[in-house]
Amino acid sequence: MTLAYAPGDSLAHRLDPRAKLLVQAGFAAAVYATTSPHGLLLATPLAAGCLWAAGGGLDDVRAFRFALPVLLGAPVVAGVTLGEPWIRPARAATTALASYRVGLILVVTAAYVRSTAVRESRAAVHHTVPGRLGAMAGLGVALVFRALPLLRADLHRAHEAVHARGGGARPVYVRMRAVAVVGVRRTLTRADRLGTAMTARCLSWNPTLPALSFGRLDAVALALGFGLVAVAVASG
Amino acid sequence: MIDVSGVTVRYGTAPNGGGGSEPPEAKTASGVAAVEDVSLRIDDGEFVVLVGANGSGKTTLVRTFNGLVTPTEGTVSVDGTPVESDLVSARSAVGMVFQTPRDQFVAPTVAADVAFGPENLGLPREEIDRRVAAALDAVDLTGRDDARIATLSGGERQRAAIAGAIAMAPTHLVCDEPFTGLDEPSRRTVLDRLRSLAADGTGVVVVTHDLRDVVGLADRLVGLNDGRLVVDGPPAAVAADLTDHGVRVPIADHERG
Repeated sequence: MTLAYAPGDSLAHRLDPRAKLLVQAGFAAAVYATTSPHGLLLATPLAAGCLWAAGGGLDDVRAFRFALPVLLGAPVVAGVTLGEPWIRPARAATTALASYRVGLILVVTAAYVRSTAVRESRAAVHHTVPGRLGAMAGLGVALVFRALPLLRADLHRAHEAVHARGGGARPVYVRMRAVAVVGVRRTLTRADRLGTAMTARCLSWNPTLPALSFGRLDAVALALGFGLVAVAVASG
Repeated sequence: MIDVSGVTVRYGTAPNGGGGSEPPEAKTASGVAAVEDVSLRIDDGEFVVLVGANGSGKTTLVRTFNGLVTPTEGTVSVDGTPVESDLVSARSAVGMVFQTPRDQFVAPTVAADVAFGPENLGLPREEIDRRVAAALDAVDLTGRDDARIATLSGGERQRAAIAGAIAMAPTHLVCDEPFTGLDEPSRRTVLDRLRSLAADGTGVVVVTHDLRDVVGLADRLVGLNDGRLVVDGPPAAVAADLTDHGVRVPIADHERG
């Protein structure tokens, strides 16, 4: 499955997207600044809490399974040496902590994505970053959210097409090349068509975006976000 | 009213000012005219079927209606205003549903996508919500606001694309091959929606190479062959002439008589 916005009425759904972005940024900064296992242990229930507040669960985290081999493999690659002493546990542990940090951030990201409509993200960026830069960044965010699932679907279809005609018998590099070439070509074609479709519907730098306003709940989220930023600064 | 006057579109020799991509027609007419000296008037509330074989210039022609393609020669006006002089007005007035709706959705959910156009017009939120609700109602997708585009059937997807276009409150709706890949019930549903829109006063232009479903609805048939307008008139008068004019149109057996 692909991680995507899921309409709902959870705690996180009711929050202003700017407050959620602050929590996410604060969380990322805090866990990166935290080098001790204890600190990361404390961050774990917070990450799980964010996902719970967004009405999410393991299914949402599963969307990041493609990152799992890298996160699990990194400590092994970092710890193994080609000569004596063959394994360096300290290096492996440091990298394992780094992988764990990334995992925690992905969990909080999942909470944000499933509880925030793309238009709200665009509005949040548009309102937060002033001027044309904010409008461009907002549109960029919206397009990335739109394009990534399509890109993945295109690559998946290319993969299926290769296998449907016995491509599985070919060497891995041949299959990878076929999928990549077809996938990129389809993506470019799709991007071209999408651009035309947006032009036809009067793509604007300053569209009517969802009205954003902070409520009481946001005060809690903002406090949490600023607190996390403070932790990051204090730890750094 | 859409007024096309002496329009010629040549690819490879003229800039594509509207930002559109080179459509399939151009590939067969690379460096030559995809549309040549076409004049045409489409009145408000008229149901026009634009027919022609692949590569005959249909898509290129309709893309000049809202400035996605800029004519090399000639002019296109919408409600008396030249398209190039006010692209936003032209694109609001001429809604377009593309041949592959899948590629035209810009948001992951139905309501968000339908709202995209009105948002770009800078309308107040209440008006946008009203238009989205009305557009979804017009295509029988009420209550599917939060449905993910990826989960829609082919027919629903086509209708969602139509909703995205009519939410702009166009005076004309152009549908490029709207029945491609649809099963019979889905074709019927889309056809019913187009019929309703026409009955409500929206001019409808259907681009197709298959007359089976739409010939009974059309006020006019316009035929293109190699970029030139070769047939223009009421279906009863001109349908039989289509093949004589080199327009390759597969007509179902029951309509051949």
